[in-house]
Amino acid sequence: MALVEIRDVHKTFGKVEVLKGVSLDVQEGEIVTIIGRSGSGKSTLLRCINALESVDAGEIRVEGLKVHARMPDLKKFRQRVGIVFQAFNLFPHLKVERNITLAPLLTGRIDKAKARALAADVLTRVGLADKIDAWPEQLSGGQQQRVAIARCLAMAPHLMLFDEVTSALDPELVGEVLKVMEAMAKQGMTMILVTHEMGFARNVANRIVFMHQGRVWEQGPPAKLFANPETPELASFIASAK
Amino acid sequence: MRSFSLIDFVSLFAALRWTVALVALALAFGAPLALGLALGRISRFAGLRWAMAACIQVIQSVPLLGLLFFFYFGMPVFLGIQVPALIAVTVAYTLYTAAFLGEIWRGGLEAVKQAQWEAGACLGLSAWQQFRHIIAPQALRLSLPPTVGFLVQLIKGTSLASILGFVELARAGQVVSAATFQPLLTYALVAAIYFALCLPLTLWSRSLEARLDGSR
Repeated sequence: MALVEIRDVHKTFGKVEVLKGVSLDVQEGEIVTIIGRSGSGKSTLLRCINALESVDAGEIRVEGLKVHARMPDLKKFRQRVGIVFQAFNLFPHLKVERNITLAPLLTGRIDKAKARALAADVLTRVGLADKIDAWPEQLSGGQQQRVAIARCLAMAPHLMLFDEVTSALDPELVGEVLKVMEAMAKQGMTMILVTHEMGFARNVANRIVFMHQGRVWEQGPPAKLFANPETPELASFIASAK
Repeated sequence: MRSFSLIDFVSLFAALRWTVALVALALAFGAPLALGLALGRISRFAGLRWAMAACIQVIQSVPLLGLLFFFYFGMPVFLGIQVPALIAVTVAYTLYTAAFLGEIWRGGLEAVKQAQWEAGACLGLSAWQQFRHIIAPQALRLSLPPTVGFLVQLIKGTSLASILGFVELARAGQVVSAATFQPLLTYALVAAIYFALCLPLTLWSRSLEARLDGSR
């Protein structure tokens, strides 16, 4: 059984149908990168996977559990599926440590005595152990994004979703975030990424999914997809992204 | 006619107790109601949002004096119940406080980005936990200056209760002025006492603002 099963998912915002029957499976340990032009439905699909948006038709299952905004154990489900956003969304009124430990403490995952050690551990994994007592706004964009990743890791998720996490960063800060993600990939984390970083998609992903006009247009291993795109849409997208 | 003496001075200060009591009552009942109104205004239920907005609109549109008159003189006429003056003013100031604070706090809550709620939800927090630990602290800091500004308004607004017979600071000033024929001195003193009451609030608000924003 795939970790994530997406079956014929449709989603409409007002009169615009953003997803027009998307189907996709993601196996445990797999790193799937979704690419495509703006408005192709990539981010919407990602947001549907952790029920930030509910689907109009079709279904999404994660670990066999049917996902929708009113599912009975939504809170428990979201603790297992981490999502990192383009805009980091750190809590500006809390120091880095508290940003990380707030949810594990409130959801009863850890007790107070272990909180600081947990924060230190996940910060070490993203290379920011020395920033545990910093305020978010004292950090660079890249550091803030790494704290956001650490905040997700503190919940020990089974699946991580990344929604254009490097798009808001200065070019020189992109590398440090990608490096952290690459390390997570090597440790076997199941990851679904929406990204414009073609280099990362090519080198780290097991599979590339090209979305176009609300559909999965083409998918396959990066080497094959980048070298021999089957559709003119993907060929032109790859050409424009170079 | 007699000259201004220590007794007059003391009687002004004694009248302060009503000013303080009215403010305390208005806040004790009005603040929880304001929080309810603010939450109702940002609720996802359109009906609730509309009802809260209508309540606030009506109360904000009526002069405070009108509210006081309505609950003291109007209730016996419209509802046939005689309301003690203290209850009438408490209800009037409570509603006045709730309507204005409710809107101030609503603004504070809405100024916190929607993405902050989302970030909390994505970490598996309940709506209450998101509000309590993520949204409210940020909204509180944003709302603090206008909240204290309103508090100062409220303190001065208690002077209207004098028309229902409460001898609070402003009314005591009238009495002393009439007895001593020294309106300039008396009202200058009354103004100084109001100032002394409001100034610490403003200073406290500034220090609290700085403390809540530990990152700067």
